[in-house]
Amino acid sequence: MDLLTLTKVNKAFGSQQVLKGLDLAVPQGAIYGFVGENGAGKTTTMRLILGLEPLDSGTITFAGQPVRFGQTQGIGYLPDVPAYYGDLSAREYLTLCGRLTHTPHLHERVGEMLHLVGLPDTRRRVHGFSRGMKQRLGIASALLDRPAMLLCDEPTSALDPAGRREFLALLASVHNETTILLSTHILSDVERICDYVGILHAGKLQVQGPLQALLAAHTQPATCFTFGTETEAQTAATLLGAVAKADQVTVTADARAALTQLLAQHLMPTAFNPIKASLEQLFMEVIA
Amino acid sequence: MRGYALILQNELILAWRRYRLVVLALVFLLFGIEAPLVAKLTPALLKSIGQGMTITLPEPTSVMSWQQYYKNMTQIGLFVLAIVASGTVSRELNEGTLVILVAKGLRRNAVIMAKYTMALLQWVVALLLAFGVTYAYTAYYFPDELSPHPWLALWPLLWFGVLWLAIIILGSTLSKSGFTGFLLGAGVYLGLTLLNMFKAVHRFNPVSLTNDNLALLTGTKTFWSLAPAYAVTLAGAVACLALAMLVLKKRRL
Amino acid sequence: MTDFELIKEYLPFLIPAVLIELALAITGVISVLRHPHYRFGNRILWLLLVIFVQPFGPLLYFFAGREVE
Repeated sequence: MDLLTLTKVNKAFGSQQVLKGLDLAVPQGAIYGFVGENGAGKTTTMRLILGLEPLDSGTITFAGQPVRFGQTQGIGYLPDVPAYYGDLSAREYLTLCGRLTHTPHLHERVGEMLHLVGLPDTRRRVHGFSRGMKQRLGIASALLDRPAMLLCDEPTSALDPAGRREFLALLASVHNETTILLSTHILSDVERICDYVGILHAGKLQVQGPLQALLAAHTQPATCFTFGTETEAQTAATLLGAVAKADQVTVTADARAALTQLLAQHLMPTAFNPIKASLEQLFMEVIA
Repeated sequence: MRGYALILQNELILAWRRYRLVVLALVFLLFGIEAPLVAKLTPALLKSIGQGMTITLPEPTSVMSWQQYYKNMTQIGLFVLAIVASGTVSRELNEGTLVILVAKGLRRNAVIMAKYTMALLQWVVALLLAFGVTYAYTAYYFPDELSPHPWLALWPLLWFGVLWLAIIILGSTLSKSGFTGFLLGAGVYLGLTLLNMFKAVHRFNPVSLTNDNLALLTGTKTFWSLAPAYAVTLAGAVACLALAMLVLKKRRL
Repeated sequence: MTDFELIKEYLPFLIPAVLIELALAITGVISVLRHPHYRFGNRILWLLLVIFVQPFGPLLYFFAGREVE
């Protein structure tokens, strides 16, 4: 069952049409990777889902209810650059959030969330927090009132590799509590934790579905041959009807047939590797 | 208005931690001391300037002290409050601090009303602090019968703050700059002052509430002589706040 | 009237006024020194303002110049 659906959503800012008939569906329980280039409209889509921006046309339905501008549905939100009141402590900020949503047993719940995201429950003020700590505080505030869905906007792009790994592990660990929609342009993040993916390009979702099924359907198995010299690689490329890159030639045809063909011409590759279908391949194909 | 009380409480905590409440209180205490001091000093200063000449100098009176108080409050105090309230909404919009809270159900209207209440609270407390100090010094140094209605005289000025701060909040909502509120307030003040050159407008003009304090103090004017101006002030404040809410609804957080 | 008597006469005004200005200057200086970033201006400017432009320097600093982040 789809928890969130967007149908024919249009949104323009001035003369710039950002979304042109966007259709998107997030199944219950998914970690949905919402992929697109910078400026493709990922943040705008999220703000529409949250009721922070008015729709031009189309419909958004969350848990069976239509989403309207100015009305919130209890969706947790982690903005790309979360901003807090620097003079509050993490506990004070979470308490403010919790009182807004009338979260029961707030004192215990705040302690629980601070523990979950690994922030100290001290009087230290937020203005001294690192970016990673601010992201984690954002997750704590977003999940505080146990929302059915969590939207994360480019949550890892400001983090260093270690912080990124930590953050993705945190997301994966809360996955059993909530459905997650994660926007990003970092494809390896999607491959690491997402089970669904949608690619936004030119104001529309070009493709969406379960990650593995999409990869299988849209990408062909390929093999990469490496040769001793670049001249050899050139000859091999001409023979196989492919393009050589330095000493490597990649072919999408049957590897066994290609190898037989090469050996018949006494072209001996020094290595050959099957290439796993990757999201990057799919992405490049879709936005081309 | 979901979140009004929470945001107001948060405003108070932040203002306290940013030392703003303390600084504001100290500044207005200083204004309160300055008024009777100036009243007491003026004859002495005139004497030192006019040495050798025989001029009859008026003894300082309670009216001179209150005159200086209202001068301070209308020429400086109002603009200090404009600085205080001018960045209040624009800063939130600049920094994006409202995004998470609005996504959690905070109403934008509640933000405007909480900010306005906070500004009004600061105005009332600041004005009363200075008033208390001036009152005490004046009663001690100038115990004359010339100022029978000190409390009554304060009300119009307090009431003018209702409109003044609504204008500043509107300005703060209109733009990302922290000074737009201040400039809008100053512009409106100038406009209303010019309008007061027409005698017919005087009774209706909110700015009269900042001019007639001495007349009320000494009893040459009655409190209700400005009744139309009170009404216009209130109506103007409501209009400014409604407009501010409308603007914030359209603005990207 | 001697100068001393003159000053004595004004002490009830001067003592609280000086104390308040001192308090404003000290809170201002401490805060300016503890925060390296400002909305505008630099440290020297703010130090001069909070110490010498009383009481508007501290007022402007705490309401418009101070940056938390």
